[in-house]
Amino acid sequence: MAASTTVPDPRTPVRENSTNSANESEGSYRHLYVVVEHDDSNLIPVTLEMLGEARRLMDIFNARYSSTEKVVAIVLGVNIKKLCEELVYYGADAVICVENPNLRYPINLIDTKVISQVARDKVCASKVSPEYSEEFKKPRYMFFSADNVGRHLSSTVLAELESGLASDINKLVIEDLEIKHEHKTKGQLARYEKTLEMYRPDFSGFLWTTILCLDNRNPAIQREYHPQACSIIPGVFAPLQRDPARTGIIVDFSPELDQADKSVKVLNRQITKSPVDFDSHKAVISFGRGIKDSPEDNIKLIVELANELNAEIGVSLPISKRPYSVREPVSSLYMNSDRVIGTSGRKVAPAVYVAIGVSGAMQHIAGMKESGFVIAINADANSPIKDECDIFIRGRMEEVLPVLIEELKKQKQVMEVHK
Amino acid sequence: MEIAELMASPLNLAVIVKLEPDFSEGSVSYNSDGTLNRAETKSILGPHSAIASAAAFYAKVKYGAVISVATMGPPIADSALQQAQLISDADSLHLYSDRIFSGADTLATAEVLKTGIKKMEGTGKMDIVFSGHRASDGETGQTGPQTAWKLGYTFLGNVICYDVDIEKRILTAKRLITLQGTPDVIEEIEAPLPVFITVDPSYRSVFNTVSLRLASVKYQKEAEQRAQNYKNYLKIFNAQQLEVDPKFVGLPGSPTIVYKVERIPKARASRRAEVIDGLDQQQLRRVAEKIHEIVGRVVNQ
Repeated sequence: MAASTTVPDPRTPVRENSTNSANESEGSYRHLYVVVEHDDSNLIPVTLEMLGEARRLMDIFNARYSSTEKVVAIVLGVNIKKLCEELVYYGADAVICVENPNLRYPINLIDTKVISQVARDKVCASKVSPEYSEEFKKPRYMFFSADNVGRHLSSTVLAELESGLASDINKLVIEDLEIKHEHKTKGQLARYEKTLEMYRPDFSGFLWTTILCLDNRNPAIQREYHPQACSIIPGVFAPLQRDPARTGIIVDFSPELDQADKSVKVLNRQITKSPVDFDSHKAVISFGRGIKDSPEDNIKLIVELANELNAEIGVSLPISKRPYSVREPVSSLYMNSDRVIGTSGRKVAPAVYVAIGVSGAMQHIAGMKESGFVIAINADANSPIKDECDIFIRGRMEEVLPVLIEELKKQKQVMEVHK
Repeated sequence: MEIAELMASPLNLAVIVKLEPDFSEGSVSYNSDGTLNRAETKSILGPHSAIASAAAFYAKVKYGAVISVATMGPPIADSALQQAQLISDADSLHLYSDRIFSGADTLATAEVLKTGIKKMEGTGKMDIVFSGHRASDGETGQTGPQTAWKLGYTFLGNVICYDVDIEKRILTAKRLITLQGTPDVIEEIEAPLPVFITVDPSYRSVFNTVSLRLASVKYQKEAEQRAQNYKNYLKIFNAQQLEVDPKFVGLPGSPTIVYKVERIPKARASRRAEVIDGLDQQQLRRVAEKIHEIVGRVVNQ
């Protein structure tokens, strides 16, 4: 790397000390650990997506810093040997395999203990790479999935490891940063090397917040915060091509469990069907804040269109927060989180996708971009959805929908006559 | 005899809530670029906090539980406590308010909440703590589980219903697990108390006997009276009264910082749209034909 531009100022010995201490800690935090999610040995796609991104980041990292830090996958479960090999084919340098009958299903209490044990284990780290094992304390970076299991697991593991966590990340960059922060650096400029920039879209989908996990260099509150960890939105990063020629090591780990850890028991698991079913419909219609002028009447029109196309109905995230007062049961039926399409909801890929009054925030696009043919109806000709659709109908839905429904009905009659 | 024993040692519950922007019509204000206008938006008890309060009320009706509601926030956050009391018929309200708490990330927030709940434990062992699924503004969903871990309680997320075996001190719950690309699963799980629960948005309390419904009405009435005089139930703690270490709360206790906020750059257009005038019936006819064509084609496959 280029020489540091932050030559310590002799008048501020405090900062010099803190910079030194940061360098000393450098060897204690190594590698990128990825916490694998699987459902009874079937990999959840986000696992491969995380591995893909981890591989890309660490390849750049190692080239840039002339180091050999690893992508390390952690897997908990029963009968997971085959799965461990797969993880190597998808980019892991090492897989820490924790095979134990108590780990069959994700249970937060026991999984948190085991993952924290792995994260702190020097023997594990030495098997992953003898090079850095002496001073190893904890991973440098850690990835979890931002779903129903990983969101909670990441929280509890990082509470145990006492470090920082950013949630729902969709872009990652490793950078050397010059930081001046009231608390972290006591207002002084300090250099933080190999810092993970974690980009998080906010709930509106229009703003990107970059979160950093930084050591406190300020002597009054001095503390090391590693790993730098985040949970990653499923469906965002691309997995690598499976490559059976890729090699890596598999490390077995025996966790230390006590009786209390086993006191939480899964009694039963049953597959349930959400009343909202995007997958078996060829058409999906979604609506967003554009319904605002007459929410109830517009939803009625949308339902009519959906009936006409035998489509399932989805919504954008803001709608699930019920921003408009609409009579029950319309609101509970349609304005709920079960129907959200996007990064904080479901991902859909129907043959036809009709977005009505949806502006097209990135979060929403991520949930529908794989759709076959996309039609958008929007009064605002500049809304971002225009770049994500095949036909953009510029107009107010109050005017467009009745005509479109009428046309669909007419044509259906014609088609039926022809049959 | 048994009842007397239960009366002597009812369940002790805590609910952690949050004052959040009100996303409902007339309260929420958006900037012209689609982002939230925080200055113009009103604040209320967060919707998921409301569900957590309802989940605690269930145990009040069913087991006669004693409920404390807590929040960390500025003095005006007491309105969230009042609203939560109206839902849960809480017996006490706790506000953790100190300038040094502000700017906290989830870990530093969890530190304050943990300390607060530990303080409640001084008056009797805590059995269940509830919190919302996630805040509607921050949306990390991390604070609940992190507080649970710091307390050393078993954490159960996405709970859709629960019951307690008071004698055995075991809680059974159903949880909804949704994972990418797999069918949703409802899991039944048991855990010894104390337990920390975050409620799933689909949580609903069911009072399925006459006596439960009557009890529910009775406590609702009590809740209305209490919430009118909520200040009588309110205790406010600053950092010193809570006895938290300033190094572990607020900005100094937060491992993470917000480095920058930017508009998400417009992605390169992934499709090239044909623009149609919404008032042109001819054009809309073509759209309808196109839809029929695609949907029909898929049907035939």
